[in-house]
Amino acid sequence: MNKKSLRLFSAEVAKGVGSLFFVIPCLLRVLAAFKPDSEIVKFQGILPKQWTIANFQEVLGNPEEIPLLRWLLNSVIISISTATLVLTVSSLAAWSMARLRLPGKPVVYGVVLATLMVPGQILLVPIYLLLNTLGWLDTPLALIVPAAGGAFGVFMLHQFFLGIPKDLEEAAALDGCSRLSTFMNVIVPLSRAPMATLFIFTFVGSWNDFLGPLVFLDSLERYTLPVGIALFQTSYFTEYGLTLAASLLCTLPTFIAFMIFQRQIISGMAASGMKE
Amino acid sequence: MKPRASGWMFAAPYLTLFTAFVIGPLLFGFALSLFRWELLSNVKPTFVGFENYVEAFRDPYVHQALGATLRFVWMAVPATILLALMIATGLNAVAGKRQGFWRAAIYVPHLLTVSVAGILWRWFYNKEFGILNALLRPIGIEIPWLSDVAWAMPAIVLMTLWWTLGGPSVVLLSGLQNIPVSYLEAASLDGATPVQRYFRIILPLMRPVLLFVTVMHVIGGFQVFGQVYMITRGGPELSTRSLVQYIYETAFNNYRMGYAAALSWILFAVIALFTLVQFRLMREERS
Repeated sequence: MNKKSLRLFSAEVAKGVGSLFFVIPCLLRVLAAFKPDSEIVKFQGILPKQWTIANFQEVLGNPEEIPLLRWLLNSVIISISTATLVLTVSSLAAWSMARLRLPGKPVVYGVVLATLMVPGQILLVPIYLLLNTLGWLDTPLALIVPAAGGAFGVFMLHQFFLGIPKDLEEAAALDGCSRLSTFMNVIVPLSRAPMATLFIFTFVGSWNDFLGPLVFLDSLERYTLPVGIALFQTSYFTEYGLTLAASLLCTLPTFIAFMIFQRQIISGMAASGMKE
Repeated sequence: MKPRASGWMFAAPYLTLFTAFVIGPLLFGFALSLFRWELLSNVKPTFVGFENYVEAFRDPYVHQALGATLRFVWMAVPATILLALMIATGLNAVAGKRQGFWRAAIYVPHLLTVSVAGILWRWFYNKEFGILNALLRPIGIEIPWLSDVAWAMPAIVLMTLWWTLGGPSVVLLSGLQNIPVSYLEAASLDGATPVQRYFRIILPLMRPVLLFVTVMHVIGGFQVFGQVYMITRGGPELSTRSLVQYIYETAFNNYRMGYAAALSWILFAVIALFTLVQFRLMREERS
């Protein structure tokens, strides 16, 4: 096999694997959401024989039992708040540790970095008891505030800030800028790309978080979409049509966000893996 | 600029949260693991030393959960790395805009939150009306995907591969693209075939990235929970119940907080051990 045909061949393989294995299950779900229950529980082919939107009507038309829009709203609020809080506190901390001369800095940064190795689950039980004491269980705070203690954002932005030439900040300082306004007017505009990446990563992580809301939230109307949808597995066990319709609605916002921010998400993903 | 303590005020909000929700819980969690601490019971928390750890080492359910977790890691991680490498190599051969499209396509499953992905695959795996058996039936095969001990873990692994392959593929793809073209050209001039180039030049240069991705996936694999919880709930016969699920049930179904904290530290120790071994291997690789 010569070079060109090998390349063509592997390209075809990549496309075949890509479409078959990854995209088709998603398409099946989209199509099945438009099937009546009788077609879902007895496989009769990929396309619906009889298209219907009854599943969507039922899932959206029953806010007492299935507060899907409420869950959606909760997810949006929690994810945006988490990403905003993480970005704010991490960027200030990362900048001060990358630039300002602080007594005891190496030790503090070392401790922060070391916690990158700690798997989140080990904190689950103590944080649950802590939130219980604070009275934050079953509130959005339980998911938003603890997330901002994570070290990933500080680590990522610290690396980036070290690469910004110092002259810019020194010039701003000579012009009489305070440290806060130097940060806001010089550093933030230069750091849009990594900050956007951190925001999106945190947003998606929070949006898809399953264990956190499962443990910390209790009442139906406080649930986020992932744990709300998981209920279908138990209470609406046999109604696959409803489940599929609800899960489709749940994925739509992430899918749209992905279409818009695809470049940042994927290059951020690649970069986070490349840093050793 | 002189070192000035006032600069710490920029870091103060983060460090407060870090102390309250990372360092504090870490230490508190360890202290907790030395207590018999049962929520919902009238017994006051009592200090028991390392009794929880002793119990864990004798607990057959811990052995079972650890076994299931190791089986998951052992089945999922090598397959992930191998398939991701194949996908990345394939994508690398696709030019320009179309590459961006396919790269996005393999990433799509990961947009689904784990409960949605889990429900979807439960539906595929359904013995009576699942699509997998519908496709296999014409050739006379019917697989009891989720009700048979032999099939349940492979089913979880297959779903996990589908759900998570996008990430490592993208990372490995950018690793491939970081290899200087001049190396490959030099090899071609020396008469290397494409296959030789791949195994003699590309793969050795990819080693650091491959090891990094492997370490990350081993760490992630030990923390498997969501897909198991959604697809099998740990069954059949607890054969797929992972350590994290056992910790979850110990803490939030049985409210045995001290024991759950001890189990968490054991999980941490197992992960740390594996990570350490892999880092050691990496270092030897370099020198």
